[in-house]
Amino acid sequence: MRGATSTRIIGIALALGAAATARAEVLTEMPRATDGRPDLSGVWQALNTAHWNLEPHVSEYPVLLELGAQFAVPPGHGVVEGGSIPYLPDALTERDRRFSNRLEEDPEVMCYLGGVPRSTYMPYPFQILQSPDDVIIYYQFATGVRRIFIDGEQEAPLDSWNGWSNARWDGDTLEVEVTGFNGLTWLDRAGNYASENATVTERYTPLGPNHMQYEATIDDPTVFSRPWTISMPLYRIVDEDFRVLEFKCEPYAEEKIYGHLRKPGTEPPEGATLR
Amino acid sequence: MRMAKVAILSAGWVLASVAAHAHHAFATEFDVERPVALEGKVTKVELINPHSWIHVEVIDEDGESTVWMIEGGSPNALVRRGITKASIPIGAELIVNGYQARDGSYKAVGRDILFSDGTALFFQGTQVPE
Amino acid sequence: MKFPIQHSQSLASAGVIAGALIATPFIAQAQSAADANPRTPWGAPDIAGVYAEYTTAPLQRSEEYGNREFLTDDEFAELERRRLRPLEINLETTTTPGTAADVHYNFDQFALSANEGFSSPNRRTSIVTMPSNGRIPPALPEAAERRESLQAYRRGREFDGPEYRSLTERCIMWSSTLPPILPGGYNSNLQIFQSPGHVMIQGEMGDPRVIPTDGRDLPDNLLPQWNGTSVGRWEGETLVVETTGFRPETAWRGASDQLHVTERFTRIDHDTLEYAFTVVDPETWAEPWGGVYPLTEMADGVLFEYACTEGNYGMANILSGARAGEREASGN
Repeated sequence: MRGATSTRIIGIALALGAAATARAEVLTEMPRATDGRPDLSGVWQALNTAHWNLEPHVSEYPVLLELGAQFAVPPGHGVVEGGSIPYLPDALTERDRRFSNRLEEDPEVMCYLGGVPRSTYMPYPFQILQSPDDVIIYYQFATGVRRIFIDGEQEAPLDSWNGWSNARWDGDTLEVEVTGFNGLTWLDRAGNYASENATVTERYTPLGPNHMQYEATIDDPTVFSRPWTISMPLYRIVDEDFRVLEFKCEPYAEEKIYGHLRKPGTEPPEGATLR
Repeated sequence: MRMAKVAILSAGWVLASVAAHAHHAFATEFDVERPVALEGKVTKVELINPHSWIHVEVIDEDGESTVWMIEGGSPNALVRRGITKASIPIGAELIVNGYQARDGSYKAVGRDILFSDGTALFFQGTQVPE
Repeated sequence: MKFPIQHSQSLASAGVIAGALIATPFIAQAQSAADANPRTPWGAPDIAGVYAEYTTAPLQRSEEYGNREFLTDDEFAELERRRLRPLEINLETTTTPGTAADVHYNFDQFALSANEGFSSPNRRTSIVTMPSNGRIPPALPEAAERRESLQAYRRGREFDGPEYRSLTERCIMWSSTLPPILPGGYNSNLQIFQSPGHVMIQGEMGDPRVIPTDGRDLPDNLLPQWNGTSVGRWEGETLVVETTGFRPETAWRGASDQLHVTERFTRIDHDTLEYAFTVVDPETWAEPWGGVYPLTEMADGVLFEYACTEGNYGMANILSGARAGEREASGN
């Protein structure tokens, strides 16, 4: 249901994009910030099936058959340059194991932070705020937030879900190097993954007023035989006064995570959000 | 990362405040009737939120090995003290005094955590014994 | 809607009132006008930074002070003497072994006691300045009833499942990161980030608030949010943020979903913002109340990721401990 709603919003956004009738200002190119760089500020969303599977895939049954067509896997062309992910043999086996156990292991099921690059193409909007020194990205899912240090050179003090992001401008492209991962995030719902040894290099390149190209190169010699790259457009949500609403998903995962520890013979309270 | 610009401080009222605002009441998780004193080698360090967990392998008198998980505090303030993930090397020997989990599993809150030479974990100037 | 804040809450005026030989706590040194009023490249007052919320004033005034807003010189000097005392690394337990209070990690060990020096001086006898006794007004009977009915529902079920535990234990909300922002026990730090037309405020343990400052008003049809919905505007050097539209479950200090919070952020020197807030909720308190305290900038400060539900082993241990206790009690 959430995915359907988001898609509808983007559909409206795209339909309005050319005419932008409600907006006083019609953008013809990506705005510029005070420092002359492209201003990537705004609400963005991917419009593809990468969150189901980065690789090309046909439609599939849902993870639980009783969910029916509503949660079946829709088909997609994939976003991996060259088509498939260059796993080392053992890592490919591990990917397949994770896929078969996805309902128990995919961190998205538990409302855990999406990590990088997965947060970018989860089926939810995210908001970029940009200043000359820093970029903030606020992801709707699990109310995740990420600080990107422009011209930063610090190393991650500790490992984390979203890693540690240092960026530089390469012409009109914002290039972000992300390290310091904890290795617990997945790349999609199909079990694709990288480890805590990964370096992810993201590139955000304006394509026009309401589009940018997103690329992420994943280098992890412990999992892959060579670095590989995903690439997809991101779409600006142009609805007037659009706000990224909270998606605090913690309550919805409690039965999943802690249900086996519930007092025998009791049920979750109605509403499940008591204080 | 620079350290605090204000001098390092200590005052009782802050302690009281901390106790009132802790993430959860540890006495609901650990059993005051089960104090433990453990010595062992670090096998894994999770400097995570809301609380850190340090895994320590303890060998008993019969040579049996048990890995205990020791709960500590949120690591965020440690980062500002200059602590990194390298500050507790795997294999370091620790002495832990604490209380075991109420469910009887091999988990404990680390009331005090020392390196085997008696220096305290996470303090500047702390030397890891060779 | 606007909710005025009393002028008497101004920290700057505190120094004038207090007079005194000791430098006033919030205006540390003379400085150039440019330094006092820095601007962003796009011309807005620059209040960006990472700030510590800790201050020596308690939230509510101790009754011994009555309506007295400020400490005497002697009282303040004694407080400062204690505040500036070097941290003594103390691994001796201050709690008694074998008591519930002793079942805890060592605060000093994890750099969580006194928060490594980020406490700001404060001559005030309380953060709360309105009403004049410095104390939060009593809850209205209907609010007390709301709270009691929730507590009655939980009573006897406290350990049945995660939903009966506190929002904090469940990694859902921290009262220290909501509007209004109040210093909590630890990790009470926040980042203010500015970009043209927006300000983001994020507590170290809490959700970010992305606040438009582009002239728009609060939406007419607010969808309830855990953190409410915020809109901001600049009044001279001050960022004014209005927040309302909370979910009823947020229930900050027992508030209803009618809670409306007004916050004012003003730079008063190179390292310090004045933070003032007013709380209005006619279904919870008969009168508005509010307060003021300084936010102290941490040089090159960085918030570290607080992924809470991701590592919340404690919740599982609490529930499994309760189950073990039940088995023991039933003799199985």
